Amino acid sequence: MITVNNILKAYNGNVVVNIPQLSTRQGEMVGLVGNNGAGKTTFFRLLLDLVRADKGEIVSNDKNVATTEDWKQYTAAYLDEGFLINYLTPEEYFYFVGSLHNRSRSNVDEFLKNFELFFDGSILRSGKYIRDLSKGNQFKVGIAACLLREPQVLILDEPFANLDPSSQLRLIKMLKEWQGRHPMTVFISSHDINHITDVCSRILLMEKGRIIRDFDTTADTLQELESYFKV
Amino acid sequence: MTFTLLSHQWRSFWRSRSAGKNLAAQIFIGFMSLYLLGCAFFLGLSLQHFLPRVFPGQDIIRVFCGLILYYFSIDILMRFMVQELPILSVQPYLAQNIRRSQLVRFLNIRSLFHFLNLLPLVIFVPFIITVIAHAHGPLVAGCFIISILGVIIFNHFLILYVKRKIIINSWWLVGFLGAVGILIALDYFHVFSFRSLSTSLFTSLIRSPWLCIILVALGLGSMVNNSRFLRKNLYFEEIARRGRQRQSTEYTWLQQWGLTGEMVALNLRLILRNKRTKAVVLMTFVIMLYGFLFYKPVYMKSAHMPMILLAALFITGIFIMNFGQFLFAWHSGYFDGLMSLPISIREFIRAQFMMFIAVSTLTFVVTSLYGLISWKIIPFQFAAFLYNIGINTVVVVYFSTRSYKGIDLNRSATFNYQGTGMSQWINILLVTLIPMLLYLCLAWLFNDWVGLTVLGGLGLISLLLQNWWINWLTNQFLLRKHTILSGFREK
Repeated sequence: MITVNNILKAYNGNVVVNIPQLSTRQGEMVGLVGNNGAGKTTFFRLLLDLVRADKGEIVSNDKNVATTEDWKQYTAAYLDEGFLINYLTPEEYFYFVGSLHNRSRSNVDEFLKNFELFFDGSILRSGKYIRDLSKGNQFKVGIAACLLREPQVLILDEPFANLDPSSQLRLIKMLKEWQGRHPMTVFISSHDINHITDVCSRILLMEKGRIIRDFDTTADTLQELESYFKV
Repeated sequence: MTFTLLSHQWRSFWRSRSAGKNLAAQIFIGFMSLYLLGCAFFLGLSLQHFLPRVFPGQDIIRVFCGLILYYFSIDILMRFMVQELPILSVQPYLAQNIRRSQLVRFLNIRSLFHFLNLLPLVIFVPFIITVIAHAHGPLVAGCFIISILGVIIFNHFLILYVKRKIIINSWWLVGFLGAVGILIALDYFHVFSFRSLSTSLFTSLIRSPWLCIILVALGLGSMVNNSRFLRKNLYFEEIARRGRQRQSTEYTWLQQWGLTGEMVALNLRLILRNKRTKAVVLMTFVIMLYGFLFYKPVYMKSAHMPMILLAALFITGIFIMNFGQFLFAWHSGYFDGLMSLPISIREFIRAQFMMFIAVSTLTFVVTSLYGLISWKIIPFQFAAFLYNIGINTVVVVYFSTRSYKGIDLNRSATFNYQGTGMSQWINILLVTLIPMLLYLCLAWLFNDWVGLTVLGGLGLISLLLQNWWINWLTNQFLLRKHTILSGFREK
């Protein structure tokens, strides 16, 4: 599904991302872990062609993401609030994103019913613009808009960071359910190693732009990660 | 205290991320201001030789007195355009051991450092010292200067007050523009005359100099009023925002244009829901009133025709110039997101063109009412309109693909009115200079009508090539896409 070839990104001589080779299969849940500055977010931006790679290429469905735009049809991402049009109401934003995928208003409304529990009554018809929502609620809008696009590739940057505990668990459950019905390649980064080993079938451990470990999740994974992060 | 706060301001200016990039522009603006002040000073010095020629056979002191309030009525309009509310994010200071009144005093003093407060002094004081002091003695001259200071202070704080009120309640804008419009119309149709009011006011000042106290009192009153308002509203924003219910709006009529329609709807919401963009709309309306200043029957003689064209270019194109120069930057807050959605840049730019043409057409149609003053205005406006939608759209969008600085639409507005400053006007100058030069050459070689036909014709040809232009602009954007993105991400 996604193949990374020799990708290199540096800012003022500091290498931020340096991945010689990486490929993921359709339906794989990939978790990125690593301390701050490991290059997770920059890697995600490279996947979305939001920063220019100094070297190498990222290929999505046999097409280079930097030279084509086909990947936008099936790739959804939420990295930060910069992905939301903050002066719209949540509904308006969903309708806008829906219209880009030829979904009608009523179709979007129907779809959003799946999120009633996740939204917890504080998003739809809240009488607020997105910019007036709390960070956690903004994130909920972001992820719902991603799933609304029925993506084959989903990219989420630190999804658990701003959510309350029950929303975190709901998100995990939701992602697993979606994956069952609707296989997609998922990239998630997180500092919460419990959650990430729970959700992901494959873990990439990043340090200073490099992937230093790449392993399938097993019963020992959590312990292995804990020993890596131990001070 | 005020001094400490001023030094913080000074540091925030020099340490801002964009300080280096802005420095060249600031120096340029500095020189422009010095040049303008120099011109004003010479104008002031030469008033005594200049007035007798323009108003032969009249008492020049009397004429001078008549001009003072006239100047200040235009001054109010200029201030409305150019004067920014003093920016200081007071948030970090509110929780410190600083009195509110100290913050307010700082904001007031900070705002006084403005070009427009110096300009009237430079124009009027030389004449007062050379002519009035000579004729009526130093006491009268002193009182004149004091009164002029009073009027400056009055205008200065009045505009700050009005602008702050507008931010809280947009009806103030309607009220202010309505009042200005009515006053201009009354003066224009000779129902009421600023000149005679000014003449009687300042000539009586010669007889009884103590009258200057009235003007000083007016100035102080305006200052006190503004300070009181500020003291009460230092935290108004937060309260106002929490209470208000936001509604979704539907633009069903736009949906028939598919994706382009959706983009236009997005733009409409962008414009209507953010302070910075609302200011652009406001400017469009204000500029529409400029016709009353420039489309005067006296200017219809051929020597003044270029003035008519300049006004027409502004009136039909101000929205294109103002909105277009930040075409991508308006969306900077969520540009990452926009670029990962399946929207083609071609569609995005096409939607902007559609909106430019719609707004420009609307202003053109409405301002065609100026044709009642003289039919000649209509061909001028028509040529300017075609040139604006045909060529200036392309120029402006091209330059916006070269602007890498984001705009923060959500900055709290009570202490922020960025975006309508001097640098913007310089930007606009470039877009008006080229057609003006073209027209002047052709008008000089042949005549006015050839100039207009060529301008309009060029605009029309360019308009027909719009698809080609959009493709070209798309490629220009894609060349610099990553630079734009990283610039916007930098806050």
